[in-house]
Amino acid sequence: MTKPVELPQGTLEMLILKAVSLGSLHGYGILLRIQQISGERLEILQGSFYTAIYRLERRGWIKGEWGESENNRRARFYALTASGTRQLKAETAKWTDMAAVVAGILDKKAHEI
Amino acid sequence: MSLLAAIRNLWHSIAPRTHSDVEEEFRSSLDAYQEDLIRQGFPEDEARRKARIDLGQPAAQNETYRRAIGLRPFDELNGDLHYGLRALRRNPGFAAVAVLSLALGIGATTAMFSLIYAVLLHPFPYAGADRIMNPHFILAQHPDVFQWFTLSEAQLDDLRLAAPVDSVLGFTNRHLEITNDGLPEDISGVYLTENAETFLGVRPLFGRMIELFDAGHPVVVLNYRFWQRRFGGDPHVIGRTLEMDHAPYMIVGVMPRSFAFNDIAGVGDVYLPASLMRAVANGPAPSYLPWIKLRPHVTVAAANVALEPIVREIMKIHSVASLAWHLGLQPIIVPYQQDLGRTLALLLAGVVLLLIIGCANCSILLLARGRTRQHELAIRTAIGASRWRIVRQLIVEALVISGTGAVLGVAASYWLARLPLLLSPDSFPAESVIRINASVLAFSVALALLCGILFGLAPALRLSRNDPARSLPGRQAGVVAAPARRRWSILIAAQVALTLLLVATAGTAIRGFLRLTQMPLGYDPANVMQLGISLHVDNPAEWSRLQSREARPAYIEQIREKIASVPGVLTVAVGTDATPPFSDRVDTESSFNIDGTGDREQTQARVMLVDQQYFAALRIPLLQGRVWSADENSSGDSIAVVNRAFATRYLSSSNALGRQLRIPAFPLQSRFTASSAQSTAWRQIIGVVGDARNDGIGRPVVPAIYLPYTTLMRQYVEFFVRTQGDPLTYLHSIRAAVASVASDQQISNGAFNLNEAIEHDAQYSRQRLFSILFGVFSAMALALALVGIFSVVAYSVAQRTTEFGVRLALGAPRTHVLWVAARIALVSAAAGIVVGLLFDSFLGTVLAHWMQNAFAAGSLLAAAALMALGALLACLLPARHAIAVPPAEALRYE
Repeated sequence: MTKPVELPQGTLEMLILKAVSLGSLHGYGILLRIQQISGERLEILQGSFYTAIYRLERRGWIKGEWGESENNRRARFYALTASGTRQLKAETAKWTDMAAVVAGILDKKAHEI
Repeated sequence: MSLLAAIRNLWHSIAPRTHSDVEEEFRSSLDAYQEDLIRQGFPEDEARRKARIDLGQPAAQNETYRRAIGLRPFDELNGDLHYGLRALRRNPGFAAVAVLSLALGIGATTAMFSLIYAVLLHPFPYAGADRIMNPHFILAQHPDVFQWFTLSEAQLDDLRLAAPVDSVLGFTNRHLEITNDGLPEDISGVYLTENAETFLGVRPLFGRMIELFDAGHPVVVLNYRFWQRRFGGDPHVIGRTLEMDHAPYMIVGVMPRSFAFNDIAGVGDVYLPASLMRAVANGPAPSYLPWIKLRPHVTVAAANVALEPIVREIMKIHSVASLAWHLGLQPIIVPYQQDLGRTLALLLAGVVLLLIIGCANCSILLLARGRTRQHELAIRTAIGASRWRIVRQLIVEALVISGTGAVLGVAASYWLARLPLLLSPDSFPAESVIRINASVLAFSVALALLCGILFGLAPALRLSRNDPARSLPGRQAGVVAAPARRRWSILIAAQVALTLLLVATAGTAIRGFLRLTQMPLGYDPANVMQLGISLHVDNPAEWSRLQSREARPAYIEQIREKIASVPGVLTVAVGTDATPPFSDRVDTESSFNIDGTGDREQTQARVMLVDQQYFAALRIPLLQGRVWSADENSSGDSIAVVNRAFATRYLSSSNALGRQLRIPAFPLQSRFTASSAQSTAWRQIIGVVGDARNDGIGRPVVPAIYLPYTTLMRQYVEFFVRTQGDPLTYLHSIRAAVASVASDQQISNGAFNLNEAIEHDAQYSRQRLFSILFGVFSAMALALALVGIFSVVAYSVAQRTTEFGVRLALGAPRTHVLWVAARIALVSAAAGIVVGLLFDSFLGTVLAHWMQNAFAAGSLLAAAALMALGALLACLLPARHAIAVPPAEALRYE
């Protein structure tokens, strides 16, 4: 098994938005999906996970609705809202930019400066 | 309903999801995770356990939710609140005393502020009331005597054109008679210039006020009290007809209760358009008292300067033209400020003292209770509560107390604010309706919160400073930290000193009032009624019959005899403006000459126009000589009776009887007066009577000359009726007796008995107000202070049970233990009494001046003794428990 990765501050919410953007999911489903996509490399703390969900819903980026889960159980499904879609786009762009800049700096060799 | 919905909406926007919703979602996640674990091969029990360990408890999830959406501070506050309420419930005695202390203070303060607001700051309901002026002449010779003047309609118009003037209202009072049912009833009508609606700007209760288009139309607007009395508050009265002086008037409006226009010339029962005055007056053009409303931002001084030439021009034809005078505009509020400002300021001072005492009491209780809670708070600190958390907890508790106190206090103030008006109705403007207004309410709530923070913070900071390592074992030692003791000792001493001040003031007020009630009156007011009759000067046919100097006394005598024939009536006397005790009158004394002295001497006496039965009806004793006969009474000339004050002051050197005096001029002559043939000629003094109060109840008797009323007859006359038992019960048969002389001769509504006249005396009513209110304030303060001392001693005894047990076990005498238990409180109370005494003797002179009453040393000492006795009891009662501790039981705590 590969080494688990610790999430930088504030990225969990972005990941949740991404997970939900792929199709509406209930809370536990989101957790599974993120872990699945990351190749089981992300360790997500339960406490901070639900805090993030509640906060995203409060901001109106995701919207929860009660529905039926795959094994016929009542569950609350979250879907991305319009403002959530915009937010995800903006966050993604910001993250890519930042990653590129940081990677660019880290890649520099002494003779290139 | 909509409010509830609004609250629900608001709450929904703050916390959109319910508890069960959050919990259910979490449960479904928990179940899904658990199933996964089972699929991975965990046994069911193990899976459930692991799921709970990894994800947490469903019950705790709500906390996560609320923290996530930012509600945690509310939850903590809510917790503090519940904890505070629970702590109060555990200790209901403490809660009751603390809340009551504040409620009394806040209630009394709110009531007094409302009263001051209503009476001093905003007593009149009129639009721009602070710009309404009452113009006077101020005579150069008597600058303290204000003289009103009347103007014709044309002159009112002249004033209206002046630059500083916004508008001018003219009004005049006249007696009217309701003629369409039963016995005639005399009511007071006020004729208003037709700009009344805009000038006064008071919204009627029903219908409308007199307006411009009413000119010349027989319409009438009702005063609230008259409407209540006459129509029983019937709201459908608009459009009905009121018959007055045999003419129909249509009722077009009813004014609200706060409208009592006006207290200068007399509050009207009905208001009518001034243009109707021309029709009824059938004499010279009617004249009006003016009220001038200045334009905004015009000062009174500037207006005086600007208006004086105009008024001087107008007054050229007037009699004062020959005298030196200048114009004085007086804001309509001023007379009340002069009379009442001081009373209210003193009451306010008393109330603020009460509030301070209440707050001090609450602080003492909180400090005492705080000490018993040190242990609890130390434990909370030890297990990690932050200092801020504890400070907040204590402030919340203090605010719970002050908030409850404020709510109760506001409720109490509704009742307390009415008290002064009930006790002393005549010292306040008739129009001031005292209600708890919004700003006063805000003031009291702010006061309550301030109190909460003030006394909540002091113990909170002290307690939270404690280091748990010190406080935890501190309980076992049973020793109280010295600074805490010192703080509440000071509070107790201050409270006792302030209470003493209040009690001594109350004592002085009560003594003053008692002295006033015991003062000899010189006449006997019991079972004597005064009633007035107004002759029909407006009815030309009747007036021509009564106008002559000879016909009038005959007519009056006829009525007098009819009243005297009513069974139960003992004596009936006649007088003109001769009702004792003549409270708060000015310029009612006349100059006179005595034989043998020149005109050089300033001789002034009150001239009383009465008949020969007056002295018997009022039981004024005859000291020398005789009273005039019936014949002399109808002639009116050449005789006079004086009172003892007159004889001592002006005739001290010789026997009064047989001396001569003359009154060179009678005031207030008008076309309705009729004088005797030689009213201003020399008169012989034939008798001296005892001194009856004639300058108000509290002031010395002024010299008086009694003359037969036929000397100078006016259009009205008073009867003094002495009856068996309550005279007012005879009123109906007396009305019938008067009507039997002339069917539409009415008795004025002002029939009252002479005891009532005394109660309406301003000094009497002020003193009564003082003594009752200060009595109530000081009783409250005393109760608060004693309860404060009691609880402090009780708390400290409860806390030091162990210490006392040890002392007793070691053989300390019981009296010594008692002394140890009560010592601090007793010493602080004694210090408070000493400080209070010093304070009082220092303030004594100031207070004496303000209360217009000597600040008696006797009442101060009595108050101190009462205070000392109370404090002793309040200390010893709870301290007894200290010596009742069985030593064995106390030691078991160790």
